[in-house]
Amino acid sequence: MDYDVNNYTVVGRIGEGAHGLVFKAKHNTTGREVALKKILIKNLEDGIPVHVMREIKALQLLRCKYIIKLYDMFPRGMSLVLVLEYMYSGLWEMLHQCEHELTIARVKTYAEMLLKGMRYMHAHYVMHRDLKPANLLINHEGILKIADLGLARLYWPEGGRPYSHQVATRWYRAPELLYGARYYSEKIDLWSVGCIIAEMITKKPLFAGESDIEQLAIVLQHLGTPTEETWPGHSQLPDFHKISFPESAPTPWIDLLPGVEPDAIHLIKSFILYDADRRMSAKQALRHQWFQKNPLPASLEEMPKPKPK
Amino acid sequence: MFSTSSQRKFWTFSDENELARLREKHNYFFYARQNSHIDEQQRFTYFLSPDEERQLLKQYELHLKEFCKRFTPPMPKGVVGTAFHYFKRFYLYNSTMDYHPKEILATCVYLACKVEEFNVSIGQFVANIKGDREKASDIILNNELLLMQQLNYHLTIHNPFRPVEGFLIDIKTRCSLANPERLRSGIDEFLEKVFLTDACLLYAPSQIALAAVLHAASKEQENLDSYVTDILFRDAGRDKLAILIEAVRKIRSLVKMVEAPARERVRLIEKKLDKCRNQENNPDSEIYKRRMRELLDEDDVLHVGSSRMSLDTSGVTQVLSPSAS
Repeated sequence: MDYDVNNYTVVGRIGEGAHGLVFKAKHNTTGREVALKKILIKNLEDGIPVHVMREIKALQLLRCKYIIKLYDMFPRGMSLVLVLEYMYSGLWEMLHQCEHELTIARVKTYAEMLLKGMRYMHAHYVMHRDLKPANLLINHEGILKIADLGLARLYWPEGGRPYSHQVATRWYRAPELLYGARYYSEKIDLWSVGCIIAEMITKKPLFAGESDIEQLAIVLQHLGTPTEETWPGHSQLPDFHKISFPESAPTPWIDLLPGVEPDAIHLIKSFILYDADRRMSAKQALRHQWFQKNPLPASLEEMPKPKPK
Repeated sequence: MFSTSSQRKFWTFSDENELARLREKHNYFFYARQNSHIDEQQRFTYFLSPDEERQLLKQYELHLKEFCKRFTPPMPKGVVGTAFHYFKRFYLYNSTMDYHPKEILATCVYLACKVEEFNVSIGQFVANIKGDREKASDIILNNELLLMQQLNYHLTIHNPFRPVEGFLIDIKTRCSLANPERLRSGIDEFLEKVFLTDACLLYAPSQIALAAVLHAASKEQENLDSYVTDILFRDAGRDKLAILIEAVRKIRSLVKMVEAPARERVRLIEKKLDKCRNQENNPDSEIYKRRMRELLDEDDVLHVGSSRMSLDTSGVTQVLSPSAS
């Protein structure tokens, strides 16, 4: 194979992840810009971590415009280097650095890109499990792509297999995970999608807990104390009896998202539901009226084009 | 899906001759790389012949099967199947003289555990190995990257177990066969043997699964021919049916021919291998130990400060301006 470290020129360091460094590099023959994600293995007790295997398997399986591409990989000393599509920016930067205005039309386009990526992923029985603005990257053309599939895994549609509940960044974590559920579905990703769309509109995280307990308290306070009707089976979740919160009535969505148009609220609250089975799928969401009303989703030409860092 | 998989595209070969050619080629490459004074006439007095490598690998496939069978906690079938695929793929492009099958065997199983989500720690894993466990875990972890690379990072394996389930459901719904569940023991027995053949490098998992189902049916004195011709292939056309029938016949005959290699012969081959194996890859050799230390050092280079972010010290990769970050 043509891939080897000698085929790349490293031009900078992009970041430092939990398991190694990420470099920006250029493929010498094609000039293509890539990100080299170097995973250190020598100090890891069990060799190549399972999450890396999952990321590789998931990225090899998924070929979608809205999911980051894995071009190749090669060993380097006792490390493994993944060659990924290079992305200039991310949704986190779009939200926090006000270089480009995030208009409603643009928000709709990002939401559509995210939902298309999720629709594809779920159609291939892969759940991401860690959707958040920092994992949604944006390339030079302004296309949003889902990245960091280190927590992604194949799931069994019939259920019946336990998964770890220690997934997803807290603010975007579905309530069943906060209660320690081991049996859950791809619908945990749609809770995160709801949080992200709300955050793009208001520029503020929807539920920003400082700790896992506070996170749960905030969610319960806004959605109201769960009942057997709004959340069937919730009292059987592993951590449900470990902590109790004061009874509360749901906050009206209009107070939770002041100034947000009714169609957007309707979409968001179709994701932010206790009962995972009732959460809207990505496929259904793409047909939601919000995308058909003015302002219409921005065209790609109207999307911000990030500059190289 | 198998039809769009790397397994079909890169790891399903046209016939046994193609496999034999690849194996002979890598057997020869090993000899050629040694620059030994042994001329070609005398080559096999010292080096293993392709046939000797085949016998040796057959023996190690039996070891692989036994190892997985005895493994605690009990190992799902999918892990075993995947490990067999990895082992066979590895030795299509490598000689046993380069990498000893006992080391590659354990690494294949370990990697298969991870890929198939059968999560065991390295400690739990080597508890199943006799002898020096610390050494075993070093060997496995040192070989893991090599194995992945030799597999071209094609980690996802399509095994025949799922298609078997599909056929059983289909037979229950569309076929009048009484109690299809009684086919299971015959199917399992067949699939255990099929991994001792090259069938998984030649045929689709669904073809192997169907061969297993048909074999199990005939053991039960049942005949599913009309299920295949009138139901399964009703709309597929004659040519497709002919291809399938030939594949099933071939898979069943491969399984019928499975036999354990002669013990004494394998013992002699192993002795020969101890002498001719590549010492660079022998964990007991000095040269191997030195190389491992070098790899570890090489890795450290990447951790120096931001002024030297090169992935390499060899000077091949150019360096970058410190302001780049």
